[in-house]
Amino acid sequence: MAGSKKNEEIKKPVSRRDFLKSGSIAVAAGALGTYASVPASAAPSSETASYESSKGYIVHDSRLCLGCQSCMYACSLAHEGAASLSLSRIQIIRDAPSFTKYPYDIVMSICRQCVTPLCVQNCPVNACHVDTENGNVRVIDGDKCIGCGTCIESCPQRPHRTVWNPDKNISMKCDLCLDTPYWDEKGGPDGKQACVSGCPVNALKLVHEPPPQRDIAGYDVDMAPPPPPPRDFSSFLKQESDDNQKEGE
Amino acid sequence: MTGGYTGKILRIDLTSKSVSTIDTEKYEEFGGGYGMGTAIFWDLAVAPGEYDMKDPYDPRNVLPIMVGPFAGTGVPAGARTSVCGMSPETYPTCEFWRGNLGGRFGNMLKHAGWDGVVVEGMADKPVWINIINDQVKIEDAKELWGRDTWETQNRITSMVGGQTRYGEEWHEIDSTYTTNRPEVLCIGPIGETKSRMAALITGSGVSARIGGHAAVFGAKNLKAISVIGTGKVQVSNPGGIIDARLHQMKTFTGGAISYTSGPGAASCMPCLRGDRRRKNYYGGETMCACMGWLGKYNSSDADRAAEALIKYGLSSWSAHFHADMFSLEIPGAPALFRGKVPTDSGLGWYLQYLKQEGLLGPGKAIDSYPLPMDQWGELSFRQALLDAIANRTGIGDALAEGCCRAAEKWGRLETDKNSGALRLTAWGATTHWTMPWVEWAYAYILGAGDPAWHGFMAPVGKPSEGTLEQSLEKLSKCTIPYTNDIFMFNYAWKGEEAWKTGIYSPHKAKQVAWSRHYSSFWNESMAFCEMFLPELGSHTPEMEIMYYKAVTGKNDSFADTMRTGQKIWTLERAIRVMHGRSRQVEDFFPYMYKPGASGMALYGGVPIYENGTWRNDNCRDMHLDRKGVNDFKDHYYALEGWDKEHGWPKKKTMEELGLKRMVKPLKDAGKLGNA
Repeated sequence: MAGSKKNEEIKKPVSRRDFLKSGSIAVAAGALGTYASVPASAAPSSETASYESSKGYIVHDSRLCLGCQSCMYACSLAHEGAASLSLSRIQIIRDAPSFTKYPYDIVMSICRQCVTPLCVQNCPVNACHVDTENGNVRVIDGDKCIGCGTCIESCPQRPHRTVWNPDKNISMKCDLCLDTPYWDEKGGPDGKQACVSGCPVNALKLVHEPPPQRDIAGYDVDMAPPPPPPRDFSSFLKQESDDNQKEGE
Repeated sequence: MTGGYTGKILRIDLTSKSVSTIDTEKYEEFGGGYGMGTAIFWDLAVAPGEYDMKDPYDPRNVLPIMVGPFAGTGVPAGARTSVCGMSPETYPTCEFWRGNLGGRFGNMLKHAGWDGVVVEGMADKPVWINIINDQVKIEDAKELWGRDTWETQNRITSMVGGQTRYGEEWHEIDSTYTTNRPEVLCIGPIGETKSRMAALITGSGVSARIGGHAAVFGAKNLKAISVIGTGKVQVSNPGGIIDARLHQMKTFTGGAISYTSGPGAASCMPCLRGDRRRKNYYGGETMCACMGWLGKYNSSDADRAAEALIKYGLSSWSAHFHADMFSLEIPGAPALFRGKVPTDSGLGWYLQYLKQEGLLGPGKAIDSYPLPMDQWGELSFRQALLDAIANRTGIGDALAEGCCRAAEKWGRLETDKNSGALRLTAWGATTHWTMPWVEWAYAYILGAGDPAWHGFMAPVGKPSEGTLEQSLEKLSKCTIPYTNDIFMFNYAWKGEEAWKTGIYSPHKAKQVAWSRHYSSFWNESMAFCEMFLPELGSHTPEMEIMYYKAVTGKNDSFADTMRTGQKIWTLERAIRVMHGRSRQVEDFFPYMYKPGASGMALYGGVPIYENGTWRNDNCRDMHLDRKGVNDFKDHYYALEGWDKEHGWPKKKTMEELGLKRMVKPLKDAGKLGNA
């Protein structure tokens, strides 16, 4: 936990309010959790920094998604070596809030690799950082993380995309599969992602240009081609019946 | 334990309100799911010898609700939940039977740390079971009783989740977190009033309908089981699961069933028209039978009828109205079948017959009160029917007991069995395909109703390339351990060839045995959706073993797993034998022996070998021969190691399959097969 680690580069977090005031993003905020506290000696930092943009972004199509949670299993298997919905860095939430109708019955919660990543900016120990050697992906170094939860509270998305690991008492986030100890594929912006690869309906996709940052629209995209028209079960059977009759005649 | 298991099974006695655990390891030899459930049922309900297994509503009826090692691991379509126990659905006797359901209940049970839930006893007032990781409470369900299945799930979600805004927040459980709602398995009003056609429901439309075990929930005063978990499931080779998924997705050939999404989904979403349903209307989990329940497809009324069906908690298959799907003139068929032969027929078909014959209506021989007969075929009629069954109002009281018991009450049972109006294959269970795929039909009598197993339908159809014989030879390589016998797939049904190599021959016995052993292990216990695997002729048995090794780490061969399937199937047989099963009662309803028994053949027809050549034939006039079925039993019983006289498993068979501890109770009951 926090107290067990030495913090040499503690920074004052930029609040979500500060961030929203800056006009960088226009989404509602949400976070929860009880984590290790940030030491009082945190050094102040009053301005948002600028970061090199990530060279990879996962976009999704909430209309195609089946809600099967295959991506969540692929994520936790590849990263954590066990099947877990709670340890997945991508969250697919069904029936939200309850038996709502398409397309609001599924919420796809995926890290946006924010152009201005508050999780990075506010991390008091630089565990959450931009990996400049690997396509500027926003990642968390688990060895450095002190479990303070600042990145979780900072995330402007709802639900927050940084994920708490109660086994290790650290935060985790999507790294575009740069570090998958249990899956032998090259990840990152130039590699494969377990969630994208494992989606049975191609509802996830890696793109290399930053999607528009205002609201969710830039990330929730229509991934053509559209699904084929529905097959009428009764006419399907009738066709088979007709075929059989012809054969029999 | 090996990967895929959590190591413990939850045991709940509703009478004493006690909660305990069973070590999964004790039952690992049965694989998981139904295999474990069957063994647990034996130990808790059969072996003590206190329950005569006549009344499914007896508190001593035990319901194991089990998942397999694949649930909660990301293995596609491998999270089905099995429910078994004495079934209210079967007729004339209560039989040991099982159903299963997809969705996410099984996954969540594993994440809460459980390989299953075993429910015993009977609560003195309505209750629901609240599982939050390892915390288990039996809660008062007064507030939930009478509510439909969607309301029930929503209310439980609110109670378990508190103020969590699902879709917007993480929900905290003892310093662990989830974005998931609880998964709730529940009954609707029709289960509460113990209709024998009641289905267990989870999500918007996932159901366990075979067996009618939802009525046993009702009898036990159990409204729902809710589970939410934040744990992880350990597997042997995590990356191996991902790689197996990707391999299957890459090599998937399209298959006969998955029109849309193909393999890969962890839950049962891609089934048939699953994602289309999501787009048209909420209810992506609603199965095809629900859609067709109104008898109209792709209409808003069909959607609303399906929604009402699910909310009330009625089995779509038992009740549906697929009556006019095929117009086939079959010489010699009973008048009832002239011009139209249903592929599937249940309550809807029977009601339609009674109406057409002028027997059903206001003030008629069978008073239709309170059904609005002038709205027949409309959504409003279906809703009124559901309401009448749920409240057992008027005719609803008889209908709630299922077709056969209703017919018995009206004095029509024998007449309508013989005419085919009660077009129910065996054990009073709805006809669902069955013919010309006779392995499906035989499974009806050998089990206790609809096996709901499509495995051979497409693979024996007309091949897209090459000759039929070549196609069958390829298929015969997959059916380990019964390989290289293409006459297993001969559907010749009349003349000398039917007995020599066709449907009454020892060859057919092997095909039926393969389907039962495969189903028992891979579909009911592991538990793959049967529309996902097997993929005979392509992925089977390669994919099954890839997933199995990645999850469990076991080095069992496919033949080993089929042997375990036989073990489960034989144990199931032993339970049935203990409550009265014998050769004499294993029979079809009369219509199966008459022209018109067969619906029609999809996929270009079934293979027929006659006069030295193979051809596909739709076998429109296929029907069974009594002597032939009797001869088939000889071959089948011999293959399974059951005695010829009774169909009871022999001591040697039981011991060789590792069922030695079940021998003594069988022997003491005088029901051990003669050597």
